[in-house]
Amino acid sequence: MILEKGQISSAQLFFLVNCFIQGALLPLNFAYPISKHDTWLAVIAAMIIGSVIALVYISLAGLFPGQNLVQINDLIYGPYLGKFISLQYILFFLMTLSGYLWFISDFVLTFIMPETPISSIMIMFSFICAWAVRQGIEVITRMSVVFSVIPASIVFITFALLLKDMEFTNLLPLFESPPGDLFQSTHIIMHISFSQVLVFLMVIPYVNKQGPSKTPILLGMLSGGMVILVSSIRNIAALGPLSGIVTSPSLEAVRLINIGKILTRLEILVAMAEILLLFIISCVFYYATVLGLAHISKLRTYVPLVVPIGILSIILSLLSYESRMQVSHSIMYITPIVSLYFYIVLPFMSLIVAKLRKLPRNKGRN
Amino acid sequence: MKSVKKAAALLTTILILSLGTSGCWNRRELPSLGIVMGVGMDKNVDSGKLEVTAQLIKTSELNSGSSEADSSGGGGGSSAYWNLQNTGESMFATVRGFTHKSSRKLYWPHNQVIIFGHSLAEEGVLEYLDFFVRDQETRLEVYMLVADDNASDILDFQLKLEKIPSVGISELMESQSANSQTCVTQLNEFVTRLMSPTTAPVAPIIKIEGKGANSELSVEGTAVFKKDKLIGQLTKEETRGLLWTIDKVKSGIIDVKCPDCSGTVSLEITRSKGKITSQIEDGKPSITIEIEEEGNIGDQSCDANLVAPDAIEKLKKQVEKAILEEVESALKKSQKLKADIFGFGEVFHQRHLKEWTKMKDDWDEIFSNLEVEIIVEAKIRRSGMIGRPATPAKE
Amino acid sequence: MLSYILSKLKFLKLLGQNYKLSQSNSTASKDEKNTTSHLSVSLKNNLDLFKETIGNNYDVVIREFTINMQKQVDAVLIYFAGMTDPKIVNESILKPLMFESQLEKNTLASKLDIIEIIRTTMLSVGEVNKRNTINDIVDSCMAGNSILLVDGCPEALLIMTADWKSRSVDEPKTESVVRGSREGFVENLLTNTTLLRRKIKNPDLVLESMKIGQRTRTNVCIAYIKGIVNPSLIDEIKRRLNNIQTDSILESGYIEQFIEDAPFSIFATVGNTEKPDSVAAKILEGRAAIFVDGTPFVLTVPLLLVENFQTSEDYYSRPYFVSFIRLIRYMAYLISILAPATYVALTTFHQELIPTPLLFSMASAQEGVPFPAIAEAVGMGIIFEILREAGVRLPRPVGQAVSIVGALVIGQSAVTAGLIGAPMVIVVALTAVASFVVPAQTDSGGVLRIVFVSLAGFAGGFGIMIGLIGLFIHLTSLRSFGTPYLSPIAPLSVADLKDAFIRAPLWTMITRPSFIGSQDPKRKDFRLKPSPPSEKESQSE
Repeated sequence: MILEKGQISSAQLFFLVNCFIQGALLPLNFAYPISKHDTWLAVIAAMIIGSVIALVYISLAGLFPGQNLVQINDLIYGPYLGKFISLQYILFFLMTLSGYLWFISDFVLTFIMPETPISSIMIMFSFICAWAVRQGIEVITRMSVVFSVIPASIVFITFALLLKDMEFTNLLPLFESPPGDLFQSTHIIMHISFSQVLVFLMVIPYVNKQGPSKTPILLGMLSGGMVILVSSIRNIAALGPLSGIVTSPSLEAVRLINIGKILTRLEILVAMAEILLLFIISCVFYYATVLGLAHISKLRTYVPLVVPIGILSIILSLLSYESRMQVSHSIMYITPIVSLYFYIVLPFMSLIVAKLRKLPRNKGRN
Repeated sequence: MKSVKKAAALLTTILILSLGTSGCWNRRELPSLGIVMGVGMDKNVDSGKLEVTAQLIKTSELNSGSSEADSSGGGGGSSAYWNLQNTGESMFATVRGFTHKSSRKLYWPHNQVIIFGHSLAEEGVLEYLDFFVRDQETRLEVYMLVADDNASDILDFQLKLEKIPSVGISELMESQSANSQTCVTQLNEFVTRLMSPTTAPVAPIIKIEGKGANSELSVEGTAVFKKDKLIGQLTKEETRGLLWTIDKVKSGIIDVKCPDCSGTVSLEITRSKGKITSQIEDGKPSITIEIEEEGNIGDQSCDANLVAPDAIEKLKKQVEKAILEEVESALKKSQKLKADIFGFGEVFHQRHLKEWTKMKDDWDEIFSNLEVEIIVEAKIRRSGMIGRPATPAKE
Repeated sequence: MLSYILSKLKFLKLLGQNYKLSQSNSTASKDEKNTTSHLSVSLKNNLDLFKETIGNNYDVVIREFTINMQKQVDAVLIYFAGMTDPKIVNESILKPLMFESQLEKNTLASKLDIIEIIRTTMLSVGEVNKRNTINDIVDSCMAGNSILLVDGCPEALLIMTADWKSRSVDEPKTESVVRGSREGFVENLLTNTTLLRRKIKNPDLVLESMKIGQRTRTNVCIAYIKGIVNPSLIDEIKRRLNNIQTDSILESGYIEQFIEDAPFSIFATVGNTEKPDSVAAKILEGRAAIFVDGTPFVLTVPLLLVENFQTSEDYYSRPYFVSFIRLIRYMAYLISILAPATYVALTTFHQELIPTPLLFSMASAQEGVPFPAIAEAVGMGIIFEILREAGVRLPRPVGQAVSIVGALVIGQSAVTAGLIGAPMVIVVALTAVASFVVPAQTDSGGVLRIVFVSLAGFAGGFGIMIGLIGLFIHLTSLRSFGTPYLSPIAPLSVADLKDAFIRAPLWTMITRPSFIGSQDPKRKDFRLKPSPPSEKESQSE
């Protein structure tokens, strides 16, 4: 049963992962209030730990070449338990998608058009995502090539332009925040960006050369992580203690750019980059949800599911979130714990069970 | 192909539906905006309440300067700005209250200056600043000033060169680097200092000098805050002492006595660098300020030959002394006020985290008795277009 | 909803009727074929049959004459006046048959052989064929050939005399160049393919011909280079061309609309050009060209987006300025679709992004203008399109009057009267000028401009972003004959980027564009970088 006929190259996978990790630029805001000027340390820590965890996902994918997460679950846990676990994952992807939908709309509302009803922005945005998802993973990955280069260059350019206003002493003292806070912040960053690489278990099977998915994913994570690191250093150095209280440090930091009264008001660039990145992330989650559901319900194509899932995710996000304060609280204190189950417990368990049952060898004989 | 058709149909439906049902939420045409260029906050003398003055531009009058010249021959009666006043309890409510008086909705992103009245600043500015940091229409890089008296008077002062006072004030702030005797402060810097547990916020002082037709706006000296309350002032020289230390001197003139005779030599600062380092020896904290300065001879009133190496050497010593005095005066004043305007506390915080936790609580006392070593190194690079002064040759 | 269903039903009904029609058509043609008789021995019968088929046309010439051989034989020459070269007809057909044939009197021949004797000994014309069905004869006659019927022969001679007045090879009107060949295609298919053959003197250049259009019977010719082109591309083109069942092909635009990949897209996925050197360059890159008789516009497939921004002159000039100009073209295209939208978004949603001094002048210019910015933008856009269309269609002297009226009335007076803000006029003018920089995308630009303006008026910068992403999705998913439309950008091919946004020196472009899938990817040696003679060489000299 092949639902996706598209093929992507490993170079495209690299760009997709890179784009995906860079997308944490905005959700990173939730880490600043906790670890303050040590956030950049948390980014580095999250990058390292995240890469290690990603190795688990990659080896899981390596055991079952050509199979996506849903199929892997079926193979490891059998048809019934496997379906149950896959459903959990799909629900989780759906919730993440609706979270991102809420997030982008909230971002647009706060900074661009405060009086607009949130649902209309969501509808516009999810319409675009649905359109891309209908075109398949090939189109999404092709777009990510362009969409990862633009935000990265924006980050580096604004970094250079802000050098004048940056006080690198703002990064000192190192490790001031208590280890607990630092750990929590690391965990937040990890669960909003690096661990979400899990969703690529739905994408890896469509890489045209099955073998080397490890290098592009790890490289993508590291390069994406570098971009976040640079941007977090930029924000902390430029804003100082303000970075802990403003809703979007990236935006506020870039607002400070003023080169000869001509190069000013560049925050529009950051906003554009954010929209592009969140678009790619939402598309990947959207795609994973729809594809997974199509696999479970044994459809021949996932296209009929696109619109219903889109509507469902909008409704879900309207129902589950009501204010930014609530969302930041949940992202800071609740979802990190819940997501542990999906990002760490389940994949590790799958890997262990697969090893115990010596599954790949059976597969090979067949 | 069918999908394209469907997508197109869906797109048009969504567009039509959303256009039809909701209209346009955030649409504001340019003529419907009351563009705020400056805002001043005072304490109302009678009620003791907050009095906010917002300076709006009259877009219809902006271009009238040129067009009136050909049509009505420069009637020039109406000014290009309109100062709107409102009193109220809280900042946001007062600002919203402007809608009762203004036909256009106030639009803040182009706000150039925030001016606090003297009496309000003495009572604390914290509660009024939140609006400027929180609201999405306001920007963090506006200039922050303290008025010598009432902010509303400053905003109502018609400048000779600019049509709009706020624009004039903001240009004034930008030209201050030529002298480096004003601590130009943007809102983000002020708030950053305010958020620090030790560093004292500062802001330049603006006042109206003179009376009647000869009066002018002038920026001079620095207001020193303790937490959010105004507690004292620095003079011009003390301000530059502060700026030397926090590495904000861009340019300026240093007057020194001629080493050979009684004349005055003025030196132009071309480059400067200030650096604060902290030491803790035997539990005793101390601070070292290192200042490097480079300058050119800009003017001399005597006929001494200053381009000779030993004269330059002497001149350098004079310059170093002058800078040292400025820094010392600023330090003395701030220690007297117990306001850490230099950010020494943050330096300790950043470099000596362990000791800092102990020092933090009685930092005010430690600061007022802090031992500070000031090292100044001046260099004179050039002497302008001439070497010796243009005086009759000495026989 | 009900009306929708009704309309759908009506549509289905129409479809059914169409189907029936086409079926009856095909049976009719079959009948025709059945009744199509071969020529008979009697000249009179043959002539009657011919007259019956061809009807009573004024331009058909039926010349009855006698061939003087051993005995006198009646013959008829039939041709369309105006489609044949009278000189050939007179000098090479009629003259030898009527006069010089007397010399051959002694030749003994049966009646049946006469026609063969005439073909081999008496006609000094390049191409002469024998046919015996009336359909073939009529077809050939329509193409400008002369038909010779001889009494007593059940066969006719088709003599190649086609020649008619056509425009001479001229400088193309749509693609003028400063440097480069000034030849442009004309309406004559043969002339056009000759122009191409003269550029590529290689037997591998294949020109395959077919006829499309049941009534017009238009000659269509596919040109490609064997050994470079991907054979599957040619198969695909042939499949699509063979699928065309239409009565008429009047211009290559007809073909284009029947074979394009995405008929609903506003972007053309089939390219067209008037210049033989462009066609030559394109088929040398592994593309195929489709020539259609009767139009100077030659189609090329597959078409990539970047091709719209390339001109043939780019390759004839040195690379530096050309690269700069190419970037300017991309910028101009973006301006032409985004400038009014950006202006609307800035003035109605994001005034904080306008620099303060600029805001002052814009606000004072906009003061007292009665319309919202979006209405101004749309209105001015439409007025501009009206002016443009009027300028194109009108004769040149009147066209100038239109532009004066447009410039004065719309530009000057509307601003002075306070109907429109001056900045808007500037924006629209800039858009208009920019839209002419990339002529191939003028039509897509016009549509996109309106879409973006409405999105901007509705949701400001966010609307524009959504529009851009949507545009990008659409472009990424488009394909032109199997080639991704947006390559080499997405999917990325670094080697091909040498000829996308910039134009690298020719000696660096070693390979053909990879996404077209050429059979022979390498087009030149990689050691072609010119350099002054090295010391060794100069010493040896």
